[in-house]
Amino acid sequence: MRTTCPYCGVGCQVEPMVQGGRIVQVLAPDIPPNHGALCVKGRFGLDFPFSGKRLLYPMVRESRKEPFRRVSWDEALDFAAQRLLEVFRKRGPEGLAVFPSAKTTNEEVYLAQKLARALLETNNVDHCSRLCHSSSTAALSRSLGGASMTNPIEDIWKTDLFLVVGSNTTETHPVIGAMIKKRVRQGAKLIVVDPRYTGMAEAATLWLRPHPGTDLFLFNAMARYILEEGLWDQGYVEERTEGFAEWRASVEGYTLEEAERITGVKRENIALAARLYATTERAGVYWAMGLTQHTKGTATVQALVNLALLTGKVGEEGAGLNPLRGQNNVQGAGDMGGLPDVLPGYRKVADQEARKRFENLWGVTLNPKPGLRMTEIFEGIPEVEAIYLIGEDPVTSEPYQDHLKAKLEALPFLIVQDILENETTPFAHVVLPAASFLEKEGTFTNTDRRVQRVRKILNPPGEARPDWWIIQELGKRLAQGLGRPWTLYSRPEGIWEEVRRAVPEMMGGITYRRLEEEGVRWPCPKEDHPGEAVLFREGFNTPSGRARFIPVHFTPPAETPSEEYPLTLSTGRVLYHWHGGTLSRNSRLQEAYPELKVEVNPKDAQRLGIQDGEVVQVVSRRGRIRAKAWVTDRTPEGVVYAPFHFAEAPANRLTLNALDPISRIPEYKVSAVRLEKLD
Amino acid sequence: MRLNVNGQEVEAKEGALLLELVDVPTLCHHPHTETHGLCRLCLVEVEGRLVPACATQATEGMVVRTDTETLRSFRKTLLEWLALSTDLSLAPGLEELLLAYGADPGRWGEMPLTRKGRAPIRDNPFFLRDYAKCVNCRRCVDACGDGIMGVYALTLEGRGLLAHPTTPLDRPLPETPCVFCGNCVQVCPTGALRPLSLEV
Repeated sequence: MRTTCPYCGVGCQVEPMVQGGRIVQVLAPDIPPNHGALCVKGRFGLDFPFSGKRLLYPMVRESRKEPFRRVSWDEALDFAAQRLLEVFRKRGPEGLAVFPSAKTTNEEVYLAQKLARALLETNNVDHCSRLCHSSSTAALSRSLGGASMTNPIEDIWKTDLFLVVGSNTTETHPVIGAMIKKRVRQGAKLIVVDPRYTGMAEAATLWLRPHPGTDLFLFNAMARYILEEGLWDQGYVEERTEGFAEWRASVEGYTLEEAERITGVKRENIALAARLYATTERAGVYWAMGLTQHTKGTATVQALVNLALLTGKVGEEGAGLNPLRGQNNVQGAGDMGGLPDVLPGYRKVADQEARKRFENLWGVTLNPKPGLRMTEIFEGIPEVEAIYLIGEDPVTSEPYQDHLKAKLEALPFLIVQDILENETTPFAHVVLPAASFLEKEGTFTNTDRRVQRVRKILNPPGEARPDWWIIQELGKRLAQGLGRPWTLYSRPEGIWEEVRRAVPEMMGGITYRRLEEEGVRWPCPKEDHPGEAVLFREGFNTPSGRARFIPVHFTPPAETPSEEYPLTLSTGRVLYHWHGGTLSRNSRLQEAYPELKVEVNPKDAQRLGIQDGEVVQVVSRRGRIRAKAWVTDRTPEGVVYAPFHFAEAPANRLTLNALDPISRIPEYKVSAVRLEKLD
Repeated sequence: MRLNVNGQEVEAKEGALLLELVDVPTLCHHPHTETHGLCRLCLVEVEGRLVPACATQATEGMVVRTDTETLRSFRKTLLEWLALSTDLSLAPGLEELLLAYGADPGRWGEMPLTRKGRAPIRDNPFFLRDYAKCVNCRRCVDACGDGIMGVYALTLEGRGLLAHPTTPLDRPLPETPCVFCGNCVQVCPTGALRPLSLEV
């Protein structure tokens, strides 16, 4: 039976064959977006639902000093509801937070944020995309009035030049990576901007290797050069944008000479990249965490947006601005309102008209005050007294791990709802065992806005239940306690029907029946509408319909190398693993990549006397971890790279929680470290 | 555009492959791997010449025959030689074809050199390479290379009866650029490449 892969945002369609309680083979059907192709995670990594670490029964305890007690679903849900109500009565809406998950379905995220807003009156709703593309969301929203890929994945076949920035595409979105590489074999050009020599850099026509955290300077310099050479699209800028004059003045200081000094990229290569991008009509930009996870992440994405507007690349086929979303349903989690400042469909909670629509739909009054963002919620403990955590593992994914653990220790009440035991489970008061993607119905929305079906292939093990059922049951108890209305649904399709009514301009035309064959992209207002492929062909979603240029300026990373910590640590992923490793390390993938390897440039290794394969310690101001050194020139001199998948050697013990002022994303990509030999 | 297939008028779009218009067996052709004209099972007759339907574009007024005596006997022989040299036990589609064409591999006696004795190679946690079952269709090589991935961890080595797909210099897969996407496994028509999870 066909379903949607639960790993990255490409949203590959998979057909897992289950026999005798295990997956024996995974094939892919010949339909979009992957047309039969898969990567190692989708092909061989879908067996985590069979892991011995599955949470099988509801468990509760009064305090962290006690062991967990196995209880019935009724007892666990009653207990959870009663404690949430106590906090609500004592602290009000500010004292609670609900984290939906970008790994659960659209229906489940919708229901979780509805529980927070309609029952607990709080907008303290957020999810893990805070930690990945919140910078992109902020910059794109400010400029274009929308925050998703502007172009569909299929546009790769129409693109003549790819500008891929801070994206290790062949490892993090492998099917898209393979498509871009194939298009390059057909004659398209590929410009890669990345400090690391990734699979994309290897395939590039032109590879620029800036110092970590200097991309913004590079983009502003490209823009200035394009202006100077008269290569910009004057007609487009005049007709479709605003704020040009002010912005133009802001890039004055970003000369090629200065850019070479700051970024370390030769000026002629910056000029060549600028010229190629500006003069190729069908030029598309693709980016990921290398750009966003900085204290100036929003500003850096903004610089890229300005560059695309200057050259008239938005709203055109085979071009556009394309943030590659990392989680299977990170697009959907945002669309469904899993964010502190917006309701489903990105309607601002501060906007009275928007609230009115949902107040009518849900039969309640809504809190007009935007909630706290994920990083702020953890900082807000113990004023924030209760957190309902669905499918998230902040102990692994948040920066400065020891600090976060202390915060969780101080949190009076934590509900963990998940499929597998993880690093955060030991901090819980209530553990609610959830069904995996193989064991429930619903929809995920992939990176290019395609809503796709998730189908039940197996029964959940033990007493595990689908997230939507758990949220609904918890909501029922809260609604009773508060005397508020709460709709019950017999299956996910009923929730989806409510979503269609809630955001008709976006999802109105997308029915489960239509999704039987293949996914449909939003916006899709009517059932006979095919779904929009390229956004902003006519106008932008801003009040004036024009896109905004916004000036941004370069600032150095929050922490720069020093005598004591002379190297720069960059964190990220590897092909074989997924985020905190909870899924991939409980699958067959673990055998292929069992332990942390930290990439060290041969020159640094030689200076420090480190051999390839030797175990070393990576030390920052915040902590230390052990890792095997992989001596490779994939990483530049002065930079070490560590994936963050390994709970026993967590890279996020080293990272700092310096935040972007707008998106509140932490600067995972730059922290100062040293390497120590173990003697 | 119109052409004549076995005496019938057939409508076709410009640039269509004959394989899309006629019903003939094929082994090497796959829409994603761009493998063309290797296995010869899809040969058809066009103006007295035998051409592979998977690598021949239809043209206006073309007269195509797909089921002549010559073609049947040719396919039968091809299938018999495949059965003699290769273990087809995990290729049910091919075994059906053998029956349909009345193939009798035994009539050729023993083959001097076959793949059947090769031991499967297990060098990674995901899938095995069982070249006793390989018919050299090249789909795996093309899926890994130009067709899909652009990784080029698989290549064809040897000539004639010794020809076989393998890694460059016969290195274990983890020592090649292989990314274990398994697209080679999905396109393999004979079970020569198969997931370890299928093994009991």
